Amino acid sequence: MSLSEQVAAVRGSVTVSTGEHLVCARVAGGDAHELLDRVSPRQLFVRSGQMLHTLLLDDAAKPLADVYICCDEDDYLVVAEGMTGGELAAYLARHAQGLAVEIADLAQSHAFLCVDGPYAWELIADITTPDIIGVPYLSFFRDDRFVCFRAGKTGEYGYDLLLPRDRVGATRDQLLSTGIRLDVRAAERDALDLAALEAGFFNVRKQVRPGLTPVELQLQWRVSAGRSYPGSAVLEQHRKSPRGRVAMIASVRELPIDAAIELGGERVGSVLDSGWSHTRDEAIGIALLDVAVSHAGLRGFTCGDIAVRTISSPAINNRSLYVDPQRHSFAARDKVDFPPLVRPSW
Amino acid sequence: MSPDLAGYIAEREQILNGLRGVLIDRMRLRREPDEIDPDAPLFGAGFALDSLDAVELVVCLDTMFGVNLPDNALLRQHMRSLNTLVDLVLAYRRGHVAL
Repeated sequence: MSLSEQVAAVRGSVTVSTGEHLVCARVAGGDAHELLDRVSPRQLFVRSGQMLHTLLLDDAAKPLADVYICCDEDDYLVVAEGMTGGELAAYLARHAQGLAVEIADLAQSHAFLCVDGPYAWELIADITTPDIIGVPYLSFFRDDRFVCFRAGKTGEYGYDLLLPRDRVGATRDQLLSTGIRLDVRAAERDALDLAALEAGFFNVRKQVRPGLTPVELQLQWRVSAGRSYPGSAVLEQHRKSPRGRVAMIASVRELPIDAAIELGGERVGSVLDSGWSHTRDEAIGIALLDVAVSHAGLRGFTCGDIAVRTISSPAINNRSLYVDPQRHSFAARDKVDFPPLVRPSW
Repeated sequence: MSPDLAGYIAEREQILNGLRGVLIDRMRLRREPDEIDPDAPLFGAGFALDSLDAVELVVCLDTMFGVNLPDNALLRQHMRSLNTLVDLVLAYRRGHVAL
């Protein structure tokens, strides 16, 4: 199935994909909270069953991983993108000196399946219980087969299932067969990455460069001021004098990664990420721009011979904003007058 | 930078800073203005605003910028980030909005 068909399924029905980009570690022991509090750039206020979306930074405040810190009664689960399971466990262990904690790299034994789309909740309800439609965003629950995290990075309903590796194949088959009535599609990571780009989600595997911190990456909501954590001192320096700021861009063709962006013949930035948005029928991307021109709605930029403009994030008008599990269903989707997937361009 | 571009940026910044003030003063967001990134999500993750905050935002758009919005589900598409709200205010000022 083509990339455009996969993205269309993310936007219109439901997709199932393997979550090889995700790993998980369990932190147990009396000082588990203390360890997570040490490494979390964001104030660690999370109740059991809830997830905190933040980052793991190195000492230069560069994002190493895009993480959810999940409170699991007395333990914590750390779901991370951007690190291997071994790297995640080693990072946590490095900051655990003097603490009574046990760190288990679950990537050795477990893997993820990801279910995304405006009707993803219907598929998860079909294989679990209808009660899941009440599970709030950034919370998780247990089934006897898996842990289900309500998250996702496509702007649509998203559920990441953590399950033993030997059950992945059978569970994937069950999702694909049960989801036939929902027009379920298998999706590759490229399609999910493109959907995340459209929805304005940070991609730690593609958009990080040396010297860039959450300040430049517009990720300051993922960190809290006045806390001490890896990279916090450097981050404060960047806050006073940022090295640019990312902006979403659009163009008629995809742009080469790391190519220069110019304005009036002067270099004002570079391309961090770019892809063809089938939803918008144009290329979109992320550019690091000088702060003075890192505003949405600007025209006149060029990348080589390609005209570039900045746009507001997110680049699409997600269908899931308008799908209410209490009132809607995939079967009755044609009876609802949903707005277009792209906001009007003024 | 051309005067037109500089003027457009200045207008965007003026609206953006006004909206940052709304988040801090009216919605009690404990952030410095320059910590509030213009593309950060307003609801769900991000600043985690709720439905009451959405009502407050609609009121502030009217009182601060003269943007009078109908009670319409389509408003959701403009309440994604501060940048989408700035787009809305600019479009309203230029007479481009048909909500």
